[in-house]
Amino acid sequence: MRTNRWTLLLWVLLLLIGLVVDASSDYRTKMSNFLPHSAPLAQRVLERQVNGGAASHLLLLSIHGAPTPVLATLSQDLAQTLRKNHHFVDVMNGDTQSTAPLQQFVWKNRYLLSPNVTPSQFTVAALHSALQHDVGLLATNLGPVLSQSLPADPTNAVMGVMTNLRVPGTGPAVQHGVWTSANGDAAILLVHTNASGFDLDAQQRDIHFIQTNFDKIRSKTVGAQSTEIGLTGPGVFGVQTRDIIEHDVTLLSTLAILGVVLLLLYAYRSPRMLLLGLLPIISGAIIAIAVVSLHFGFVLGITLGFGITLIGEALDYATYLFTQTSRREDANDTLKRIWPTLRLGALTSIVGFSAMLASNFAGFAQLGLFSIVGLVTSVLVTRYVLPPLVPHQFYAVGAGNIARPMGWLIRHRRPARVVFLLAVAAAVSILLMHRGPTWDKNLMNLSPIPPTAQALNVKLSKELGIPNEQYFAVFSTDSAQQALQESEHLGSLMKRLKTRGQISAFDLPSNVLPSNATQKARQSALPTTTVLQSRLHQALVGLPFRSGVFAPFLKDVAAARAAPLLTPADLPPALALRFDSMLLRYESHWVVIAPLMGVSTPALVKQTLSAHKIDLVDLQQQSNVLLATFQHEAVMLAVVGSTAILILLWIGLRSIRRTIKVAVPLAMAVVLTAAVMTFDDAPLNIFIVMGFVLTVATGSNYCLFFERAVPGDPLWERAIPAIVLANLCTVGAYGLMGFSDIPVLHDIGMTVALGTFLSLIGGAVMSLPRASVQA
Amino acid sequence: MISGVEKRLGILGLLLLAPWQAWAQTAPWDLQTLLQQMAEVQSVSASFTQTQTSPLLSKPLASSGVLSYKAPAYLCKVTLAPIHETFILDHQQITVSGGPHDQTRVFNVSDAPQINGLVGGVQAVLSGNAGTLKQLYIAKFDGPRSAWELKLVPRSESVKKLVQSMTIYGNGRHMTQMKTVSPDGSVTDMQISETITLAH
Repeated sequence: MRTNRWTLLLWVLLLLIGLVVDASSDYRTKMSNFLPHSAPLAQRVLERQVNGGAASHLLLLSIHGAPTPVLATLSQDLAQTLRKNHHFVDVMNGDTQSTAPLQQFVWKNRYLLSPNVTPSQFTVAALHSALQHDVGLLATNLGPVLSQSLPADPTNAVMGVMTNLRVPGTGPAVQHGVWTSANGDAAILLVHTNASGFDLDAQQRDIHFIQTNFDKIRSKTVGAQSTEIGLTGPGVFGVQTRDIIEHDVTLLSTLAILGVVLLLLYAYRSPRMLLLGLLPIISGAIIAIAVVSLHFGFVLGITLGFGITLIGEALDYATYLFTQTSRREDANDTLKRIWPTLRLGALTSIVGFSAMLASNFAGFAQLGLFSIVGLVTSVLVTRYVLPPLVPHQFYAVGAGNIARPMGWLIRHRRPARVVFLLAVAAAVSILLMHRGPTWDKNLMNLSPIPPTAQALNVKLSKELGIPNEQYFAVFSTDSAQQALQESEHLGSLMKRLKTRGQISAFDLPSNVLPSNATQKARQSALPTTTVLQSRLHQALVGLPFRSGVFAPFLKDVAAARAAPLLTPADLPPALALRFDSMLLRYESHWVVIAPLMGVSTPALVKQTLSAHKIDLVDLQQQSNVLLATFQHEAVMLAVVGSTAILILLWIGLRSIRRTIKVAVPLAMAVVLTAAVMTFDDAPLNIFIVMGFVLTVATGSNYCLFFERAVPGDPLWERAIPAIVLANLCTVGAYGLMGFSDIPVLHDIGMTVALGTFLSLIGGAVMSLPRASVQA
Repeated sequence: MISGVEKRLGILGLLLLAPWQAWAQTAPWDLQTLLQQMAEVQSVSASFTQTQTSPLLSKPLASSGVLSYKAPAYLCKVTLAPIHETFILDHQQITVSGGPHDQTRVFNVSDAPQINGLVGGVQAVLSGNAGTLKQLYIAKFDGPRSAWELKLVPRSESVKKLVQSMTIYGNGRHMTQMKTVSPDGSVTDMQISETITLAH
């Protein structure tokens, strides 16, 4: 009893230390932490861009369900309402107010921004030719429009800026003064939120504000009753994902816990035993989090979620113990009796998961450590902490009833074996006849965002003329100014690529904001007022302009010469967004990410760029590589883990024949599950493969019990309810996860529920000795 | 300036359109009648000379070119001198090409309501479309059949920034002159000589 007290004390102490470490841990939820340590700079930067960069501040809105004029009114009213809310930096719907800040900025700063501002543009001859050109313009239909801007900008500096800023593509259609889809069945708005796409609470608030105000406006607008608003963008995705996960996790885990609790209550008829059964897994989780936190310095959100799933079999340990005690056998004795099997079962899982430790992905490595520490702790708690806490002569009253169907199956295991083998043969032929890709190539299919939401995003981006950016020229420098200067040099290279037809368009940060050096050069290209006045006077000879018409020109040039240089802070929201998405600070570097459109010959472009020490990054390829690495790792982990389990079984059982008897039903269960999961030529994904690893880890416990069976022995007869009860809990909990719409929950849940159940059946019909059970 | 085509058409027209002519003579002369008669026009080709004043310029600019119209909704203005520029309004699509920048731009009238306001009136008058005309402008019609004038004031604020008013002068089915006054004070005066082909 003394030793027991010390054990309990040690256990409580460790738990307390664990809890303290857990409470002070750094929990990280971003996917980037999951990426391989060895990922190249470009990939890490791009990932950050995609998951929290400037573009994550955008919301795309579409209003549909009424004739275009009604939609236009709604668009205008909604835009005006949103513009009054300071949570929205910019609201663009295609009206004049949408582009006014941009136009004002360009007009005011045209002499610093325009590539046309060079000393040669301000000679008498160049001015004369520009003015002659202006006379021609005045004679056209648009003459009256120009008479407002011409006196201030006779050299048409604005045109040069606009050419630089023109976004490739046609942009959205404009009907009734607002942006619409091509056929006018939807009005489109682009909202730039203050909050980043990852500030989910703020995004939710902003989305809610948009929706409620749209509802108000709709109820006040004639003929708008049947209209609807659609929202999309990174923030919407983030909020939707959180909602879906919260909903599924809350609902399904509540149901799972309820199911497991009811099942265990039926078996034990004791709430105390129910709570005791949780001790191993809770202790395991607490210590595992602490160890992961101490070793890695941080804990990934994904580790928490998955880790608990991986050590779910720790619930079984208590079940094995509680259902096998009897009026004649104390928990301590029961445990000593089943300990070799329990230990080998836990070890197989630990060895199976340990392959993950070697993974290149921080996420997998953390999961590996978590599950190993968690299972070791759980099995030790089961061994040393639980037995003294179990009441004397405890007997799981209901367990026998639960196991009754299994008794029937065991009695009829010979015909059942034939059926099982036939099923395996059918499964093998299904797998052999599998057509189509083995692996799911689409990263988005692994995403919890519903396909309809993804489709809306694609549609609106297309209508808005947002190009589908796949290729990026990426380079890094030590300072922002250096980045802008190199961006300017890259501009001429890009123009050459465009002339050669290797790309159709490009964008650069220096197109939006020239470097300080360039701005200064432009200022010094502008003549002083006296010089300009005299040159203008000479240039106007022979032209029909009235005298003094160009006073605004002289004034604006003089102002531009003395103006402070433009900085990113001066940019209007639309341009700031564009600039920030192309030039960003990463650690101590400044990284330029310049999108290239219509890349016809990626290899040639890559070659040309690399000669200038610039990377061409193919986003599609990057994500394919990432996915392929994931798949490769997952398969490697499964293969290495399974091999390690086989070796361990062989060592533990000291017999190849016995090892095969344990391994064969497991392999058959995996084959059957694989056939079901890939039925109708569905592809595999990493979640299914992770499900296989879990199946083998959990299922091996059942098969070990069956392999050690001594049919007819009453003690062994008590083992059957233990396994059945453990499996029912697993199938129930994972099976419920399988009802989720989230791919990761659905696939892992289905695979594990099916796989472990089939392992149980397989173990019963394949592993038991041929001799029939004496009833 | 009567072309050979019209001479021949005139002779044919006397025979073919005699009953209609008779009706037209007796109908009251108002905007509705003008538009009804215009609706009979199948195509028009014309030459024009234009003078354009600008507050920036000390003397008016002269230009010249040709116009053509095909019912119901094709209107083309080609400026030949001093700079070649083509402006086409075909149903809902506007194409501008040439000009000092020698660029071609294509856009929908809904993208550029101001530009539509400049020419939409002419198109509406030529096609006899009273609905469109009244939707775009406040119209004031005056004068006898041989010397009518139609003053159009745009309803849209954005069009008003370009065109204060547009006055079309005509004789029967013919447009003879168009005067556009812009808010900046510039006046464009276009003299037109037309050849009309009527629908049969």
